[in-house]
Amino acid sequence: MENRRLFLFKGVMWILAGLAAAVAIVRFSLGLGVSTALSDSTPWGLWIGFDVMGGVALAAGGFVMAAVVHIFHRERYHAAARPAILTAFLGYGAVAVGLLFDLGLPWNIWHATIYWNVRSALFEVAWCVMLYLTVLALEVTPTILERTPFQKTYRFFVKLALPIMILGIMLSTLHQSSLGTMLLIMPFRVHPLWYSHLLPELFFVSAICLGIVMVMVESTVTSWLYRREPEMEMLAGLARLASIALACYFVMKSADLLLQGKLATVFDGTWLANLFILEMLLSTVIPMVGFAFPAVRRSFRGMWFLACCSVAGFVLDRINASGLSQVWATRRFYFPEWTEFAISLGIVAACVLVFFFIQERFPVDPHGLEAVEAERKARATALPAFAPFAQVWLGEGWRKSAKVYSFLFVLALAVGLTAAPKAEPVVDTRAVRAVGANILRIGPGPRYVYFDHKKHQDEAGGRKSCALCHHLHQKGDVGTPCVVCHENLFLPTSVFNHDAHVSALAGNDSCAKCHGKGEPIRVTPTKKCSECHDKDMMAANPVVKTFASKWAPSYKDAMHTMCIPCHEEKAKDVTLKLPNLGRCGACHNGGTESEKAYTAEFPAGTTAGARS
Amino acid sequence: MIENPAILTDVTKCIGCEQCVVACKKVNDLPANDAPPRPGSTPDGLSADRWTTVIREPDNHFVRKQCRHCLEPACVSVCPVGAMQKTPEGPVIYDKAICLGCRYCMMACPYGVPHYEWDSPNPSVRKCILCYPSLKSGKIDKPACVASCPTQATIFGTRGEMLAEAGRRLRAEPSKYVQRIWGENQVGGTSVLYVSDISLDFLAFGDGRQLSAAPLPPLTWGTLKAVPFEFLGMGVLMGSLYWVIERRRKLMDEKAAAVAAGEDHHGE
Repeated sequence: MENRRLFLFKGVMWILAGLAAAVAIVRFSLGLGVSTALSDSTPWGLWIGFDVMGGVALAAGGFVMAAVVHIFHRERYHAAARPAILTAFLGYGAVAVGLLFDLGLPWNIWHATIYWNVRSALFEVAWCVMLYLTVLALEVTPTILERTPFQKTYRFFVKLALPIMILGIMLSTLHQSSLGTMLLIMPFRVHPLWYSHLLPELFFVSAICLGIVMVMVESTVTSWLYRREPEMEMLAGLARLASIALACYFVMKSADLLLQGKLATVFDGTWLANLFILEMLLSTVIPMVGFAFPAVRRSFRGMWFLACCSVAGFVLDRINASGLSQVWATRRFYFPEWTEFAISLGIVAACVLVFFFIQERFPVDPHGLEAVEAERKARATALPAFAPFAQVWLGEGWRKSAKVYSFLFVLALAVGLTAAPKAEPVVDTRAVRAVGANILRIGPGPRYVYFDHKKHQDEAGGRKSCALCHHLHQKGDVGTPCVVCHENLFLPTSVFNHDAHVSALAGNDSCAKCHGKGEPIRVTPTKKCSECHDKDMMAANPVVKTFASKWAPSYKDAMHTMCIPCHEEKAKDVTLKLPNLGRCGACHNGGTESEKAYTAEFPAGTTAGARS
Repeated sequence: MIENPAILTDVTKCIGCEQCVVACKKVNDLPANDAPPRPGSTPDGLSADRWTTVIREPDNHFVRKQCRHCLEPACVSVCPVGAMQKTPEGPVIYDKAICLGCRYCMMACPYGVPHYEWDSPNPSVRKCILCYPSLKSGKIDKPACVASCPTQATIFGTRGEMLAEAGRRLRAEPSKYVQRIWGENQVGGTSVLYVSDISLDFLAFGDGRQLSAAPLPPLTWGTLKAVPFEFLGMGVLMGSLYWVIERRRKLMDEKAAAVAAGEDHHGE
């Protein structure tokens, strides 16, 4: 009988990977704004907090187990060393991929190798991660080569193992703590409960704790998935180790808070303080106490639960320190978009799938391959499997898996692409009030014209001429801006407020005042506005001609009908010597490149008349 | 171009006309209309398209916000590739050709000045550069915002001159001003200084309470300069531990072998 548990689990992983692939397309084609909830106040979000800060810490099992097994010679944990190192390799790969999503200009990631700023903690982290990823690849190589014909190369790598392991531990020490160093420069952002000058040391110690409990989670989950005997003796040993490491962390953290005089802040009841308590309980206190009981160390479920609890707590710690706790300073709340979760989960899912792939083909842990082999034999004698609903034979073994998994992946990809946020087209064409004295904005994009207000005023007759253009110019009103009525750039706007007229003219009784007595009330015929408002409104003048309807023309039409006739007339006036005044470029000269090209289209020799 | 250029903004003189904003947009070729602010960002008016802005405080106080051009800028110190640069003259500028887009500069700025082009798939960090290219080439002799100010609420000169002028104003009208020059000492001193009749602590994150006179970069450098020693120390520690443990195992093995041999001998 096929391992249904593993099959379903992998199916879920493929779905998550498919969703992430869909979001990846949106992220790289449309940018971070569409695909995340990040903002200028919260420039780092889930991808830094979980994928990078959390990912590096989650992969700490690699260096911790390397030290335990290869330096301290605790042979009992030998079975955990190879899976832990493989996890670390995949984990760091995931960090690198996660970083590519988060970086605004990911194609420049290699710049860290040639542009150096040794004063940046991130620079150090970047180098350490690059080097450690290489080291981990070398550490994983023997696992891959062991059962291949390349025995000479295999033995070479086995000999190389010790110096490489030590180099790996050295690099890990550095960047695990440097992730804490990165936050040191932001005392104004990081909440006091998380900020400490000991952040590098705290990050290092908590990475060791997280490394141990993560190895436990991994070991318990794989043995459950592959229906294998759990390595209880090893797990119990790890639990004891974890208990000691967690106690160290707890003492460090408490002493640090005490010395900084922040102990009272922990219990001040704000939601951030409560979050801190929750994080400490999950990550440290509960597992530390739990693992100390021999009864717990004999229980598979107990150890699995406490290890998961601790992992969740430490991941929460990284997310809090690098992001969530900063709500305190920015006063702006940030909650990740579903797309951000999709990418984070998808990267983890892809890693898990690669882990399974390698585990089922190469000697990662001593019993793994035997179990897989036994299953393959069992499957050879099993009855053919049918698809659950269609009753179609899907083929044997990997054929069946490939069909189901690729179907799930593509399905998730399609769902993801449908649901993913799209770039919003610019539909807002409202005209906007002039931003300064000499600029009129003329479009939804970055387009504007220069308009010399003073020059026009002088030209038209000084202070008395305002009303020529500002044709609603009233007493106590300093030049009503055009956009008050000409609201939309391209569409006319109704300037008649029916409700205001109804209420001002004594309710429904007043219909007849405009709509005519005894006639059915229709939109037309009504009174002309000027029949009542003849004194309120400016008379039509040579510049602004009509007030016949309630429709104010669009901003563009209003400006063009107002400006162009006068400009063309002035252009024809030889005494003014302004032959270019009638051309588009006379006004549309200051904006985008395309507008500059527009101006260049009509060189200085041509006249306006020649064009029209 | 003068050394240590600085801007002194007198909040009591600003009338909030935003001519500085328009001038800034013109000289830096920024779109005249701002994109709507991103949900969740601080509503101070700054954006990738608006490098200076006038914050309207209650009671008709107008506070112009722009990059402070710190003497020891945190954004420059945290940039892993050095895309943020402190020029020898003083202004802090940005080079997109180098930038990775990690946005650490935005995290490290205590005033929340660098802004990002969130809607672009090829985004850059945008902020005031004190008109550095134009000043350097001599095209203009003072930043566009200062040149356009109709009330001389914001003035330009060397940092020494500006501090002296600020001090003179504080002494001349002690009842009018809060007796403090914002930017004189905070985070090691900034090139954009303010005198004001209200507290300007709101310009920084967390009300500026966490900001002392100490500059920010040494906070990480103190740890970072120990890195080579840490690295080698860990190597030596691990190497010697391995050697000691391995030797002890070997000795124990030999002893066990000797004991076994002895027993064998005894048995014969």
